[in-house]
Amino acid sequence: MSEDIQQRTTHCRRLDRRAVLKGFAGATALSALPYAARAEGAKEAPALAKLAADGKLAPLADRISANPMVVTVEKVGRYGGALRRGLRGSADHNGILRMVGNQGLVRWNLAFTEVLPNVADKWEVNADSTEFTFHLRKGMKWSDGHPFTADDIVFAIEDCAKNTELYKSPPTPIVIGGKAGTVTKIDDTTVKFTFAGPYALFLEQMATPLGQHPTLFAKHYCSQFHPKYNPAVADLVKAANLSDWGTLFRNKCGDIEIPTRWGNADKPTLDPWVIKEPYTGGATRVVMERNPYFWQVDTAGNQLPYIDRLNFNISQDVESLMLDVISGRLDIQERHIDTLQNKPTLSQNMQKGGYRLIELINSGSQQVQIYLNLTHKDPKMREMFANKEFRKALSLGMNRSEIIELVYLGQSQPYQAGPRPGHPWYHAALATQFSEFDQPQANAILDKLGYAKKDANGFRLRPDGQKIFFAIDVIPTLYPDEVDALELVKRHWADIGIDIKVNTIERALYYTRGDNNDHDAAVWPGPGGLDPMLDPRDFFAQHTQGSRYAVPWAQWYVSGGKDGQEPPESQKQRMKLFDQARATADLQKRGEIMKQLFDLTADAFETIGICLAVNAFGICKTNLANVPAKYPNSWSWPNPGPALPQQFFFST
Amino acid sequence: MLRFIAKRLLWMVPSLIVVSFLAFVLIQLPPGDYVTTFIATLAASNEVVDQTTAADLRARFGLDQPMIIQYLKWISGILLRGDFGLSFEWQQPVSNLIWERMALTLVLTFSTLLATWGIALPVGVFSAVKKYSIGDYVVTFFSFLGLAIPSFLLALVLMYIAAVEFGQEVGGLFSEAYVNAPWSFGKILDLLHHLWIPVIILAASGTASLIRVMRANMLDELNKPYVTTARAKGLSEFHLLVKYPLRLALNPFISTISWLLPNLVSGSIIVAIVLSLPTAGPLLLQSLMSQDMYLAGAFVLLICALTLVGSLISDILLALVDPRIRLE
Repeated sequence: MSEDIQQRTTHCRRLDRRAVLKGFAGATALSALPYAARAEGAKEAPALAKLAADGKLAPLADRISANPMVVTVEKVGRYGGALRRGLRGSADHNGILRMVGNQGLVRWNLAFTEVLPNVADKWEVNADSTEFTFHLRKGMKWSDGHPFTADDIVFAIEDCAKNTELYKSPPTPIVIGGKAGTVTKIDDTTVKFTFAGPYALFLEQMATPLGQHPTLFAKHYCSQFHPKYNPAVADLVKAANLSDWGTLFRNKCGDIEIPTRWGNADKPTLDPWVIKEPYTGGATRVVMERNPYFWQVDTAGNQLPYIDRLNFNISQDVESLMLDVISGRLDIQERHIDTLQNKPTLSQNMQKGGYRLIELINSGSQQVQIYLNLTHKDPKMREMFANKEFRKALSLGMNRSEIIELVYLGQSQPYQAGPRPGHPWYHAALATQFSEFDQPQANAILDKLGYAKKDANGFRLRPDGQKIFFAIDVIPTLYPDEVDALELVKRHWADIGIDIKVNTIERALYYTRGDNNDHDAAVWPGPGGLDPMLDPRDFFAQHTQGSRYAVPWAQWYVSGGKDGQEPPESQKQRMKLFDQARATADLQKRGEIMKQLFDLTADAFETIGICLAVNAFGICKTNLANVPAKYPNSWSWPNPGPALPQQFFFST
Repeated sequence: MLRFIAKRLLWMVPSLIVVSFLAFVLIQLPPGDYVTTFIATLAASNEVVDQTTAADLRARFGLDQPMIIQYLKWISGILLRGDFGLSFEWQQPVSNLIWERMALTLVLTFSTLLATWGIALPVGVFSAVKKYSIGDYVVTFFSFLGLAIPSFLLALVLMYIAAVEFGQEVGGLFSEAYVNAPWSFGKILDLLHHLWIPVIILAASGTASLIRVMRANMLDELNKPYVTTARAKGLSEFHLLVKYPLRLALNPFISTISWLLPNLVSGSIIVAIVLSLPTAGPLLLQSLMSQDMYLAGAFVLLICALTLVGSLISDILLALVDPRIRLE
């Protein structure tokens, strides 16, 4: 599947040429028509066609929009089949969201680099990125056949998301500079979001799951649980034996990521499949069936989704999902089975289970980012860590390929930080500088820095006679692989005369030490591989908990100079550049600004990385077609949602 | 007898109150609360909860209040209105969630009980009467094997064999077609078709231990003078066995009733989880793990109540069966 929506004219031309060249059965039939790409030309699932013929359902043309979203599919699919997927019994509602609930105003492209039209057909942004005007699709319907209009979006934001009885404070994606944006209806298919300050990342935020509020609540249905529209709501609350209308509203209409979003079969949605058997406490499965009013079609004009039904089986024990995979009883699955340890077993049984592996690109950048505390409370330590040459020596003194081979089964490559290879913003120096294994050079640097003297055990001494020693904090329960990697690092660094302690501590203690700036060093996976704008903590001191190499600098940045410590000039420049990038809507320009930022980061070389964040994997039955061979694995890109499961189909 | 029952029933009230308080405290003891656990579980799949949403949730569930207030709110709801509250996670009334699962749990537990007794009684008697025969050795061997194998392991092995070697559907109590179908003859047949695997697994260890107990008890009785006397008087061997020593040897079976009732809820949790059975056990564990206070609290309360009732019933039954036992 490539980049998606074509203008109608170009779309026609392409389709005809392709039809002639390749002779697709469906497309050939279509090319005979003066293909207008109107809804009338579209086709639908046999079951729906029968219902429509019997008069039990409106004809297709009335059900989908006049300009439906056209998905450019790899292959035009066939209708039918039930897709099986596994869920865990508790707190796994996002497993459903990832599969079906990706219907925000906009969505991500497959590469996770660009925002594409989704519910909104097109949009305009004003020059200073404070106003966003979205044009909706005319004649688009909710899953119960009721029209979807600008009123729904205004209701969802103004009456729900900004209602203090429902949300104590408005959800972060619609807030900038401490103020929630305002939505106004221009006409039935046009809405305008207005913000108090520039918010160029708004579109990106709207493409993530947490940005789905605008399309979450159907006004005609949800307003009956809202006191503004239904004065008698108190009776409903009482009848349901609940305490307040907010609880009732959430039970009926859900929220982005709570289980009740999938617990009400009556609630209209914009999703490709709608709930038939809900996700409730004690349920053993969840069944979803096609939405007859789904507003997307493939390039041949067939209404999506191709697959009739989704069956989510709920396993109490996630290990039993492995059994299901091996015996071929799941069609697409990555949740709960994607640990590296499972990979050999799953690879061995591919034939038996009739599935293939799909690669899930880690959205992070670094698997094990080592953060030396450049703002250490002890001046001697601070002086040592703050010296770039010292960090360079440590980086050169690590045998990364050994770690990759032993801990990550060879599934990675030496890496430092920054957007992943293949990302348009990939920065070679930032990514790979000082990542070769060169102990002689490391020793030479350390000798030159004045750490030439050694103690009886061969560890280097600082000029004040103290042994060079520091502890690296790591949470074993959360990232056991990082402990293994650090044990190897400890051995490598001992060879260049540096002594460390792998300090395995509990999660809460880890955070406390970081917050108080008490740590010598810490490790954490380095984010920002595919989403550098959304999590730039490794590129400058941005995150007061995450930028562990200089938490006080991050505090300085976040508080606008009131708290923390004043950072060096390079950091200040990067903070300015990032603020600038965040206010720039134009992707090209934003990329140029970020390039300058990355140059400075590479030059400062503050964090030491080991290897590229390791990809996860999923399985997919061999007969399930149109599934990309690889796609990102991220919460902001809620896989497999943005790979558009509605266009997956069973080839046999 | 009636006075005894009335006294025991009265005593249950204070014990239940103490237990409910203890249960509430214990569930709250681990660090964090439902919201922290919720966030941590989502974080394990790389999912993020909006910070404002988290604070909002905590306030909505009253988790920011002192524990004693939370307890009083909970217990007064139960005592005054019979309202066990809403499950945090599912936002459904706790009582519905529990009762939904009780029917199948009952079916499973009683089938297991029948299977256990049905096998253990005759085999135990046989193995005692034919002491040191080849049959006895075979039975002893298998019952030790049954005792030694943890039931969840047996479940895993059976599941692996069934799934990988035979490609059969394992886990659950119904096949795909019947899961949410209304009750019908077909559905009952389907249930029976699936029921035997968990029943065998669950009965395995219970049967083994009961065989051992039965054998030991019978051996104690068989050498007693009254047996010899009865035999000397010409009573047929079968009649003799059933009428006298067996009756006495039954006491431990009746005692098991007291822990049988709480087992309805909490027994066989691991097996039920491994086999994905829609019974109460997995829900109990889940609620404890996610610190879903009201759901877990209601379960613990239910288990305690069942334990108390169960021991009362078994005391009464024992007194009925064995006249030597007095209820004082």
